[in-house]
Amino acid sequence: MATLELVDLAKRFSKKVWGVKKMDLEVNEKEFIVLLGPSGCGKTTTMRMIAGLEEVTRGTILLDGNDITDIPSRNRGISMVFQNYAIWPHMSVYENIAFSLKLKKMPAAEIKQRVQETADMVKIGELLKRLPGQLSGGQQQRVALARALAVRPRLFLMDEPLSNLDAKLRVIMRTELKAIHQKTEATSIFVTHDQSEAMSMADRIVIMKDGVIVQIGTPDDVYFRSANMFVAGFIGTPPSNFFTVKCIYNNDKIALEHSQFTLDLDPKGFEELKEYNGKEIVIGARPEDLLVVPDSEAVFTEEILVVEPQGSHQVVALNLSETIVKMIVSAEAKVKPGDNIGLNFNRKRLHFFNKETEDRIHLKNEVE
Amino acid sequence: MANVLKRQIRRSAKKTSLYIILVGIACIIIFPVFFLFSFSFMSDYETYSEWPKPLVPSFKAHFMIDKDVEGYHLFIFNKSEDDFMPFGPLVFTNNEKDVDNLRKFIKLQSNCKISSQQIVEYLEVVDSDSRVEFTIRKDLLANYILFFQVVNGAPKAVLNSLMVAGATILISLTIGGMGGYAFARYFFKGKNILKLSVLFVRMFPAVSLAIPMVIILAKMGLYDQPLGLSLVYSVGQISMSIWITASVFMSIPVSLEEAAMIFGTTKVGAFWHITLPLALPGLAACAMYSFIGSWNEVIAAVVLTQFNPTFPVIVYKALVGSQGQINLITAGSVAQAVPAIIFTLIIRKYIIQMWGGVKV
Ligand SMILES: Nc1ncnc2c1ncn2[C@@H]1O[C@H](COP(=O)(O)OP(=O)(O)O)[C@@H](O)[C@H]1O
Ligand SMILES: [Mg+2]
Repeated sequence: MATLELVDLAKRFSKKVWGVKKMDLEVNEKEFIVLLGPSGCGKTTTMRMIAGLEEVTRGTILLDGNDITDIPSRNRGISMVFQNYAIWPHMSVYENIAFSLKLKKMPAAEIKQRVQETADMVKIGELLKRLPGQLSGGQQQRVALARALAVRPRLFLMDEPLSNLDAKLRVIMRTELKAIHQKTEATSIFVTHDQSEAMSMADRIVIMKDGVIVQIGTPDDVYFRSANMFVAGFIGTPPSNFFTVKCIYNNDKIALEHSQFTLDLDPKGFEELKEYNGKEIVIGARPEDLLVVPDSEAVFTEEILVVEPQGSHQVVALNLSETIVKMIVSAEAKVKPGDNIGLNFNRKRLHFFNKETEDRIHLKNEVE
Repeated sequence: MANVLKRQIRRSAKKTSLYIILVGIACIIIFPVFFLFSFSFMSDYETYSEWPKPLVPSFKAHFMIDKDVEGYHLFIFNKSEDDFMPFGPLVFTNNEKDVDNLRKFIKLQSNCKISSQQIVEYLEVVDSDSRVEFTIRKDLLANYILFFQVVNGAPKAVLNSLMVAGATILISLTIGGMGGYAFARYFFKGKNILKLSVLFVRMFPAVSLAIPMVIILAKMGLYDQPLGLSLVYSVGQISMSIWITASVFMSIPVSLEEAAMIFGTTKVGAFWHITLPLALPGLAACAMYSFIGSWNEVIAAVVLTQFNPTFPVIVYKALVGSQGQINLITAGSVAQAVPAIIFTLIIRKYIIQMWGGVKV
């Protein structure tokens, strides 16, 4: 239950290699923050700097307003779940969880109670006597979790804790972690490269790329108001479709001219596109914002390349002038490869990006 | 079908010939060692009076005492002749001195223990009947006991060897272990070159360094001292220890230490609580490796000791200076080899794991 502030944080490993170039972040009390980004973007480095396992090259880390940048890990009041669990193989589950409590010279009876309580919370209450080698991957993960929770940390760090679990267990653990967070209310930072994990767990998502923050926002923010093309392409499965178009702005009509189609917009609500008159911009369309319509209403028609049934819905892929366009249709829709379908855009939900900077062109009345 | 059969035949022929070659090589290596062991359990009589040599030493000997007008005669069963052969003094009487001599002779020549009283009893039986046959169990360890009794300073040499080995382990494991940890955990400039170059000290044969070593140790006042010898051994063992411990520490994930540091220990504490217990089997293997290296070393020990030789020096000198008594020398050699063999068997698993890259 603490606030964390990263001020101008940077880590340089060698002349050419930056782990993190610049991080400015404020984490509120009880917040569940997810660091999200492709592998190698500096998530682990950030985490390790917060944990005190990595010296910072520049910047400050404030925990509850206190500068902890140069304090040893053990005195920071944090705990961490490692990607490879890092539970100690020569100690029983009980000893693993009790380790930090013993070092704190907690009375034995209290340790016992705390260990049992924490183990029960993560459902390994029965396994306390076992050695880690006798546990499954999922159980080891829970031991790592219990060990980190037992200290009642001010800040709870998790570095890709679920990435070594099988897909089904991963989804179960998401829910459990979220529930544990609601119960313990520990300020948490969770690292993942899996956007669906981030979307489902985070209060706020911090999207990183090449050692810098690209966007900080709620799951809705990053999904519906992606800050740039990178975010729009990274968030969502399948990711956004991009169409490079030429913007022709008249006061009564906006025409977005693609090589294969022309999309007409009512200028009302899209006034910001005016300054791009005559220039190229990029449309970002989420797969669910491409609509199957009768040919008469279609912006363009195209042949279906493949259909991927997903149970709850189907993903349809088209080949539009050498780029694959993916869209989502309902499970009932009768679609098959080779069919020609007419498509339209859900205009209100479109994203527009500056082609040069790849940044979002903000509209005044964006979807809330 | 025919093709498949042909291929199968060719494959098993290949396999068989490979095995024959391997077994042949093994025999060439194993047989001398086997005979070393075998001889060390044989009595003088077995060693020198029977041919062909038995593969395994016998566990007992058969005797016969007979009597004629001249007095008593002792015979021993000779396996190569398949008959009793005269053994010891041609004639003896039943006076006390003769009987005692006979007892000593039997013990020395056939490693069989018999009391004077028992001999007298047998002689009485011979007097009343005509001849008596008896079997005595051989004292298998007689050669070993005798070796330590007759070779000058053998027990003290064992003690010296143990001290040298102990000090070598201590020095090489502390210094080598620290080096290994550094190589396993830290990045620094020239790391690989340094790691290779620590092996260079092992390139020089001990003999070529003997004179400088004598001079240096003499100046340090450590010539003819176990500590001096262990210093010399440590030089070579440290480089080995560095390589072995580095691979041991590398097999223990850093994150285990980092977790300990997050959960309340210092860096040293993390090493103490986490890394050391996990590395212990590997470190023990490394220690045993040092032990074997130091325990078996002869050349430097011959040069660097005078009145305080180590055990291999004693065995070596006994071997060089011996006239006959092969069985006795082999007993010394085996006594020297056994600890090394036992330790090798213990650490075999770890060495294979380490070189095989499989995690400890
Ligand atoms: N110890 C290190 N030495 C040198 N470079 C490193 C080290 N750790 C990480 N890096 C580099 O820093 C960048 C960020 O790494 P990391 O934080 O592990 O990424 P992520 O966890 O997001 O996948 C990568 O380019 C990586 O190669
Ligand atoms: Mg990482």
